[in-house]
Amino acid sequence: MSFREQSAWAMGLILTVAGLLYFGKVFAASQALGATAPPIIAFVVIYVVLVVIASIIVMSPLAAFQAEAANAPADERERIILNQARNWAGYVLAFGVATGLFHFWVQRDGNMLFHIAFASLMASQISEYAFQIFLYRRGHA
Amino acid sequence: MAKRPPITNRVRELREAHGNMSQAALAKAIGVTRQTVIAIEQGKYSPSLESAFRISRVFGVGLEDAFGWAPSEDG
Repeated sequence: MSFREQSAWAMGLILTVAGLLYFGKVFAASQALGATAPPIIAFVVIYVVLVVIASIIVMSPLAAFQAEAANAPADERERIILNQARNWAGYVLAFGVATGLFHFWVQRDGNMLFHIAFASLMASQISEYAFQIFLYRRGHA
Repeated sequence: MAKRPPITNRVRELREAHGNMSQAALAKAIGVTRQTVIAIEQGKYSPSLESAFRISRVFGVGLEDAFGWAPSEDG
């Protein structure tokens, strides 16, 4: 497994766990309020800090053990894979945001629009790593 | 199932004929990762023209001695 595929696995798992924790908190806050919780900046900050710290903890040893691969730029096949994965992830983001806007148009719930847009951003990033893994496994884009 | 590119290659054969050169050594010589060399050998990925030339030069053969065209049903 290449360094980039290992990185994709690590970052995908970190973002998934952090996302689940974040939305677990939002869901709990919404249940306590009896309505969609407003955007809670503290949760967003905790999510970002958690992702940054976890990334440093996981990626540092990975890069240290494979310094040459970590420092090398993506080669021609990897560049195609990264671009393809980014392209597909863009569709995930667009679909999520469009769904959020449609929901807002129907329900007029701005809080939910924020949560759907933020979830779409997370899903898009996680799916980008998932698409990368899929394409690395397949061997080509 | 993704369609395989219609380009064949003799990279593994040439590598083995060159003192059993490792995939990592070939990868380093042409500036790609070992996984890319594996994908090329398995016919999953067709290298760029530049990499194809680099591979040919490493083995001291012509481009068409290392790579070929396998026409599909639609040509």
